[in-house]
Amino acid sequence: MSDLKYAYYPGCSLHASAGEYDLSTRELFKKLKIGLTEVPDWFCCGATPAHNVDELLSLSLCAKNLELAEKVEGDLAVACAACFSRLKFTQHTLEENDTKRKQVEKAIDAPVKLEGHVKHLLEILAKDLGLERLAASVDKPLAGLKVACYYGCLLTRPPEVPNLDCVEAPTIMEDVLKAVGAETVAWTHRMECCGANFTLSRPGVVVQLSNAILESAKAAGANCIMVACPLCHGNLDIRQKEIEGVYQTAYGLPVFYITQLVGLATGLSAGKLGLDALIVSPMPLLKEKGLL
Amino acid sequence: MSRIGVFICHCGENISRTVDVERVATEVGKMPGVAFATDYKYMCSDPGQNLLKKAIQEQKLSHIVVAACSPRMHEKTFRKAVEAAGLNPFLCEMANIREHCSWVHEDKEEATVKAIEIVGMMVERVKKNRVLPTITVPVTKRSLVIGGGIAGIQAALDIADCGHEVILVEREPSIGGHMAQLSETFPTLDCSQCIMTPKMVDVANHPKIKLYTYSEIELVEGYIGNFQVTIKKKARSVDENKCTGCGVCMAKCPIKKIPNKFDQNLGMRPAIYVPFPQAVPNTPVIDRENCTMFKTGKCGLCQKVCGPGAVDYEQEDQLIVEPVGAIVVATGFDLYSIDEKPKGSMIKGYGEFGHGKIPDVIDGMTFERLASASGPTGGKILRPSDGKEPKQIVFIQCIGSRAREKGISYCSKICCMYTAKHTMLYHHKVHDGQAYVFFMDARTPGKSYDEFWRRSIEEEEAVYIRGMVSRLYQKGDKIVVMGSDIAVGVQVEIEADMVVLATAVMPQKGADTLAQKLGISYDKYNFYSEAHAKLRPVECATAGIYLAGACQGPKDIPETVSQASAAAAKVMTLFAKDQLEREPIVAKVREAGCVGCFYCKKVCPYGAVEEKEIRDRQGNLIKVVAYVNPGVCGGCGTCQATCPSKSVELDGYTDEQIVAMIEAL
Amino acid sequence: MVISQETMDVNFVRKVEALSGTSVRRCFQCGKCSAGCPMATFMEHPPNRVVRLLQLGQWQRILSGRSIWYCASCETCSTRCPNKVHLASIMDALRKLSWDAEGPSKESYVQLANKLFLQNIRTYGRQYEMRLAAVFNVKSGQFLKDLMLGPKLMAKGKLKMFHSKNKNMSEIEKIFTRIEEMRKKGEAL
Repeated sequence: MSDLKYAYYPGCSLHASAGEYDLSTRELFKKLKIGLTEVPDWFCCGATPAHNVDELLSLSLCAKNLELAEKVEGDLAVACAACFSRLKFTQHTLEENDTKRKQVEKAIDAPVKLEGHVKHLLEILAKDLGLERLAASVDKPLAGLKVACYYGCLLTRPPEVPNLDCVEAPTIMEDVLKAVGAETVAWTHRMECCGANFTLSRPGVVVQLSNAILESAKAAGANCIMVACPLCHGNLDIRQKEIEGVYQTAYGLPVFYITQLVGLATGLSAGKLGLDALIVSPMPLLKEKGLL
Repeated sequence: MSRIGVFICHCGENISRTVDVERVATEVGKMPGVAFATDYKYMCSDPGQNLLKKAIQEQKLSHIVVAACSPRMHEKTFRKAVEAAGLNPFLCEMANIREHCSWVHEDKEEATVKAIEIVGMMVERVKKNRVLPTITVPVTKRSLVIGGGIAGIQAALDIADCGHEVILVEREPSIGGHMAQLSETFPTLDCSQCIMTPKMVDVANHPKIKLYTYSEIELVEGYIGNFQVTIKKKARSVDENKCTGCGVCMAKCPIKKIPNKFDQNLGMRPAIYVPFPQAVPNTPVIDRENCTMFKTGKCGLCQKVCGPGAVDYEQEDQLIVEPVGAIVVATGFDLYSIDEKPKGSMIKGYGEFGHGKIPDVIDGMTFERLASASGPTGGKILRPSDGKEPKQIVFIQCIGSRAREKGISYCSKICCMYTAKHTMLYHHKVHDGQAYVFFMDARTPGKSYDEFWRRSIEEEEAVYIRGMVSRLYQKGDKIVVMGSDIAVGVQVEIEADMVVLATAVMPQKGADTLAQKLGISYDKYNFYSEAHAKLRPVECATAGIYLAGACQGPKDIPETVSQASAAAAKVMTLFAKDQLEREPIVAKVREAGCVGCFYCKKVCPYGAVEEKEIRDRQGNLIKVVAYVNPGVCGGCGTCQATCPSKSVELDGYTDEQIVAMIEAL
Repeated sequence: MVISQETMDVNFVRKVEALSGTSVRRCFQCGKCSAGCPMATFMEHPPNRVVRLLQLGQWQRILSGRSIWYCASCETCSTRCPNKVHLASIMDALRKLSWDAEGPSKESYVQLANKLFLQNIRTYGRQYEMRLAAVFNVKSGQFLKDLMLGPKLMAKGKLKMFHSKNKNMSEIEKIFTRIEEMRKKGEAL
């Protein structure tokens, strides 16, 4: 039995294009008996567009969400790497900068609260629950999967903010996957940018950058990729076909969310993990490896 | 009744611009006890000093106040002049009306009033000054040199050639230091060993040099002219007097594969070894951690084959005490490594360069060993991972240096030049290879230095790219270098066979511990601090201790050798006298008042306070009081501030004098 | 165009330093930011040159270009800068100043996407992805952009046609208006 309890901030994407991330997160936490209560009335953290052009707005939106989260018991669990980054950055900035803190308090008309811990799902699995307990809940080790763990930009950078893992050579994703019996590959582009939110305004950028990532994962012998961010997922999964077309190549690399892979190892069904929602279908690979 | 003379200096215009010096002279002249007051344009000049001397004699002055600059600048000058005129020098005080007054004020009226007050304070103070006799201490004319690299060797040879005995202590089994590891030296490309080894032999053969290798400084006691140094001579397990250096033991040792630190761990050595063939002394040492005999008690092969019977497993560490009068610290440098550093450390490693885990990413010293004819590859440039000759080689400068994020903000000074040298050595050895250098700035001041750097580009065809590298990663058997050229404004990506990092120059490990033993100061990086950055660059603030070489800051060979000779000259200056004169600004205990609580002993940073027994005529112990050894006392006054019974006073800074100053205000 | 003292606007440097909370002057042009920037090839001025132009007070050249809009906020530059110059924050500050100046930039698509994204927050609270994409295509005149993706995403349940507004819309709106008021009064940059 786990005594862990969290407030949950899914983020906008998990209620739309990344529904399977939300679904698999809820199912996995239920399976691991970790409490998860969605923050009532949470709203958009402002993501990249807000801090890009209006830092005060970005900080205020995040501060307000942090205030809402205070009403739910437990640390704040965040699934999306971008939301995680913004919320942590807000805490960091408001702690360091008095002027900005006062401005934000005026904007949200409430005192800023910085005591609560903001945690990415990865941290909860690897540190709060712990690798041992995670390994103990494995029902079906993920033998046969050669996973390229993709960290992207925002889980570890900049060094003074997220404090999740080593900023240049993190291992937390690999640690989690090893605990559930999967093999991970060493590859070169695990922390290179996928093009992020240029997917809307300049998709050509995404195609070029994400291609380099897919190419590197393939070259390292991976048969799938794992991510912990809906934006990375969108670029690597949804745009994979298009990338293959532009570069006249075939990758065929399914892109899983971390909760999907861990969920699979704990014995959750494909339906409960939303595996059918992935654009590059993982079914052939999972069947071949006897994981479905 | 005192007849005080006051001499007010204009300091050119430095003082007179904001202080009405004539008015100061007039006002001060009216003060009680002042018999004479005058002003002059340059008091410190020859005519100025003569004016002072003449006045002392003609006016029969008893005390002197010179109102001029800081005492740090000219106190010595004026006290000497006063002494020449027949007065005790400690009856002369300076009133600082430049740094404390004219330089920091704009309003002439206010500044003048303040100057009068400052001088007035010193007039009252000087009335309480006592005649102090100069203290003399004997000088032990032997010196200790710590560190047997080129700095220590040069200093030791210079002092010994002057006829004074030198104790040279080296931590490693051989002297030679980093210079012995180098292949060729800039800017002339002469072989480092060829110019270094003769000096090493000179040290070994010099009748005035006593060499302790494989030894460390354990304890330093005493003071200038009279240090007692305890040296720990680590057990070599080989008797230096019996060993002939034939090398049979090393050839027979069954343990062969221990990475040799001298070769940057590229080459291998046995468990009984000399670090390199030209080692001085040429006596092997047993590495007890790796020796089978020491680990299991079985083997003993080296002892069996040793003709003269020099191998001695029973040898123990020895503590040797040596009296010396001066110490030269020449502990040299170490190179920064890009490895992961412990959490919370001020210095950080380079995760973006793989934290030292990519085998063909090496540092400059490793390249030196590869290029050295006596190195592990016999002078062939071969990369560590597979022994192949790299055809595309990338050098990156400023690794760790000039990177405050990584914990070091200084420039390491030698890397621009040695990287240029590396490109040349590479070009000479790999004719079909190409060298690339990523750099920020080329810093090449020095005789023939810039020409040398330009030669690397113009004649040796190295491609210099102005821009740093963001990331290095292994891709197959290549290393991808992601850089940029800021002049063109484009990214530069090179797939290299080998990468050489010009890593920062840092002080030796343990430099701080040694400094604490010596009682010398060091900066936040652990480089030792000189007494004055410009005018006393080779002396420590602690009297009798001198600095040579890279332990004080990054330096190349010519600069190191110059500083070593300078330090030797300072030692010889000290040894030129039999008795050492020192300022009598020392603490004195009033024994009647002392209750023997010894708070003073606890707080004294110089260890100058001793316990003294007071006995009556029959020899019965009455009490134990504090005694300040005038030879050791640094004159800081901490004891005076601490003493609960006000029984200790610092000569020249007595409570009476300070109170007189305050009351004059 | 020659850079002269008339065009060197040092006040602009101070403004950027205040907004970003990081030193601009500290940069000594090592180029490490540009070496690792994933977007450098899309920029007319690579990141180090943006900082150099900024040091010289050349705000017109920076704000009228597309470099600042092609920064992906990946933070690689800030992470690896040997000098602790937080370039990602400087980029944020520059974008804000350009945004305030009604953007003389050549890069309209990124600005349009940002504008729509922020409008969506103000209208719906949470992002309405379907609407964001549709309106972007209409406003940017790229009616056929990503046309092939639409039905596929719809079938996978990734594009939701309907989106409900947050219940606390009035509170969210207040954040926007309070910030606008603070700026009018000069209480915030």
